[in-house]
Amino acid sequence: MAGETLIAILILLPLATAAVGLAVKDDKLRRPFIILPSMALIAASVLLLFRVLDHGTITFTPSGTWDPIILILELALLAYFLYLGVIRKHVLVLGLAGFQLALFCLLKFAWLPSGFKAQPALHVDLLAVVMCLVISVVGSLIVMYGLNYMQNHERHLGLTATRQHIFFFFLVGFLGAMNGLVFANSLLWLFFFWEITTLCCYHLIRHDLTDEAEQNAMRALWMNLVGGVAVVGGMALTYQASGTLSMMELTGFGTVGPVLLLPLALFCLAGFTKAAQVPFQSWLLGAMVAPTPVSALLHSSTMVKAGVYLVLRLAPAYQDTYLSAVLAIFGAFVFMVTSLLAISQPVSKRVLAYSTISSLGLIICLAGINSGLAVAAAVALIIFHAVTKGVLFLVVGIVEQDIHSRNIEDMEGLTARLPVISGLAIAGMIVMLFVPFGVLFAKWAGIQAAATPFSEFYPLVVVFLAVGSAAGMVFWVRWIGRLISNVTTADGPPAEVRREPRASVPYLVVFSLVGGAVVLSVLAAPLVSWLINPAIAAMGYSPALDTAGWYLTTPFGSFSPWALFIVVALALLLPALLVKARPEEVMPVYLCGVNQPAEGPTFRSIADTPAAVETGGMYWTQAFGERSLNTWVNGAGIVLLAALFLGVIM
Amino acid sequence: MSGYEWLIGLAALVFAPLLGGFLRGIDRKLTARMQGRIGPPIWQQFYDFFKLIGKARAVTTKGSLMWVWGYLLLTMLAVYMLFAQRDLLIIFFILAFAGACLIFGAFSVRSPYSHIGAHREIMQMLSYEPILLLAAVAIFLQTGTFKVSGIFEHDGPLLLTLPLVFVAVLIALTIKLRKSPFDISASEHAHQELVRGVYTEYSGRFLALIELTHWYELVLILAFVALFWAQPLWIGVLLALGVYFLELLVDNIEARLQWSWMLSISWAAGIGFILVNIILIELVFGNVLRL
Repeated sequence: MAGETLIAILILLPLATAAVGLAVKDDKLRRPFIILPSMALIAASVLLLFRVLDHGTITFTPSGTWDPIILILELALLAYFLYLGVIRKHVLVLGLAGFQLALFCLLKFAWLPSGFKAQPALHVDLLAVVMCLVISVVGSLIVMYGLNYMQNHERHLGLTATRQHIFFFFLVGFLGAMNGLVFANSLLWLFFFWEITTLCCYHLIRHDLTDEAEQNAMRALWMNLVGGVAVVGGMALTYQASGTLSMMELTGFGTVGPVLLLPLALFCLAGFTKAAQVPFQSWLLGAMVAPTPVSALLHSSTMVKAGVYLVLRLAPAYQDTYLSAVLAIFGAFVFMVTSLLAISQPVSKRVLAYSTISSLGLIICLAGINSGLAVAAAVALIIFHAVTKGVLFLVVGIVEQDIHSRNIEDMEGLTARLPVISGLAIAGMIVMLFVPFGVLFAKWAGIQAAATPFSEFYPLVVVFLAVGSAAGMVFWVRWIGRLISNVTTADGPPAEVRREPRASVPYLVVFSLVGGAVVLSVLAAPLVSWLINPAIAAMGYSPALDTAGWYLTTPFGSFSPWALFIVVALALLLPALLVKARPEEVMPVYLCGVNQPAEGPTFRSIADTPAAVETGGMYWTQAFGERSLNTWVNGAGIVLLAALFLGVIM
Repeated sequence: MSGYEWLIGLAALVFAPLLGGFLRGIDRKLTARMQGRIGPPIWQQFYDFFKLIGKARAVTTKGSLMWVWGYLLLTMLAVYMLFAQRDLLIIFFILAFAGACLIFGAFSVRSPYSHIGAHREIMQMLSYEPILLLAAVAIFLQTGTFKVSGIFEHDGPLLLTLPLVFVAVLIALTIKLRKSPFDISASEHAHQELVRGVYTEYSGRFLALIELTHWYELVLILAFVALFWAQPLWIGVLLALGVYFLELLVDNIEARLQWSWMLSISWAAGIGFILVNIILIELVFGNVLRL
């Protein structure tokens, strides 16, 4: 199939599926309408990968009158945001949407000559294909997972009329918009898809229509409108300075002149709002009121990834500039503080949200370091983070529908109650946290890249990365610890073991994502040589990772993911299989008093009164709580942003 | 150093426990003398080890047994990689994984004592992990590589250009060696107590495995200290032994600290020293990557 057709399918199929699905209100009928196009989308993205690997970058402008159509839809969209500001009486949304609309009209009708087109409209290189794979594969899996989840969700809420068709309209449409966003070369097209993601995000967050959902959706909307305004402003300034609105022309010729730095900084600001970087993190934290598939989609494959994609895409243009240096500090700072904030969170989705923001900060930091090694690490992190974060959100969704809580404290001893799903959760967290898995490979390469003196401030960046990486350990290790906490008695595990629907779609989705994360980690070296190195070469970087013998070798260090994986797997799996505890060897725990196993987990305490055994997680809220840190964190974030813009302007 | 690194690594796996156990024996003897006791024989650690191996098993939960093996095997992997002169960052990451296994072992049994120990052990990791990573970075600025082999190819001892990093590493290693004032997750070795945080629910051969792992850890830590004077290596070995004596001394004259103090001391002093040292490298000693 021709590359052009595949690209058209990847953008239009989800949009068409969304539109058709709007008419399907029956649960059973919806399944084929969602599952078949999702499969097709996955297949198309894989085909596109091979196409681009074999034949190189695809650039073209689709035939037909797309530009006027997009313009009309764009204006309608901006007017709709304005309308939302009016009917919700939200001054910020109203102001930002109005400003955005006015600025866009000024740009389109006054500054750009009539009939102006940025040619070619689409530019699909390997970076775009990597993003497309993340969006189409992980995104489609999450959409399929959503089928079961939403049925349970509506049953739980006791709705009389289903609202799932609206839900899937925005969920599936999101994928098309994201694909359009990463394929766009014309900044006008990119802006159009950018605004669609904002729209989808808004509607998905408010899906349950509770007060909290409405409120958080409005917050997400205004923060993302800040990003929208920044994109329009960036476009206007880019056009004034260079007379072009083509991404390729902006990034294709090495570092841009200083006059273009301000629009680039504006595009980066837009990226920060989408990627929920400090001080915009509150919209992503608030987004967890939405049903879990939304969180999974926003955090892993869409929305926030659009933000880091834009920053990373523009990286060649601001290489070796002040902007690049500040981006590195800013990203590393966000990486550190959000990891620290996550330590104090007992709510699983908030932990996941902070860890997402932290990983995105790392990607932005790597884009700011802006060397071949750093950019390769950033691309790797985009892939691995999408897969693992997808796993963790989906797992939390399944657990939440079972135990009716998203609090980590209520997940104590979950391995005894839901062994399969908690095993998958632990696998996901280990992939997120430990060597030799992919996320850590990115951190390893990231610390190396940060230690090469790329700017005067590199010691600061390295310190932020080291502290953030240690802080990440705290909340993941504690969470795993809560899950596995468990007493075996002579009669076996005390808690009732639930039968889990292992063959259901949600479980299969989680299985395949965990499997994908592990396989990709073990095969990290071939992945680098086959996909990541060519991808960064197409962006203009010289590949810094050597993969001879399937070792990952940088100029400064090396390790072998597959060999380490074998050793680690043996060290953990062999004991799990071989160590057996005979019933007569099982003893009660030490409780500083006489145990009373007959009465459950209790012991004789002071004055012979029975006391129940309780354990709980520590969250160190005094030291790492939002209340004690948020003011400083947001203040420092604003100062860094101010420094970014002041430096760029002066 | 060509082609035989793996052999040195394997040899280290065989000899490290012997050396580690012996050093522990010296530890107990010296500590006893500092406290005005006669102390056990030098070989007492090995007697204890075999006695523990021979005990009947008492199991509170299967999970904790599994993780102990992970703790031991991953620590051995880190020892192998250090002596085979591999990537220092990866060695520290593996070490963190091993440490996490100990924590998981303590978490997998529902016992308040081991849970408190596990949480404190997490705080210890939060305290020393950045220092170790940053020390690797500082060494990198001198040798131009994260590989341990690069330290041996580097001219001149690292200690002369990385004195403050060395001090920071000492702080981190006191935590890692579980010595006062930082033995907060479990009272350790010379301070025997019955309820010992993360180790509370271990007995018999699994306690012996933990002991064995500690011997490996001790050798790993002292070997890392020796790297600060890698040429000639015998000075490095003397340096490591000197550091070990210093740790014993501090252990016996210091009281245990709260976790918040440990965290502020290790971050403020440890990270601060390394930052100052990196600035010194840039301004005075010269960064090898800029040459």
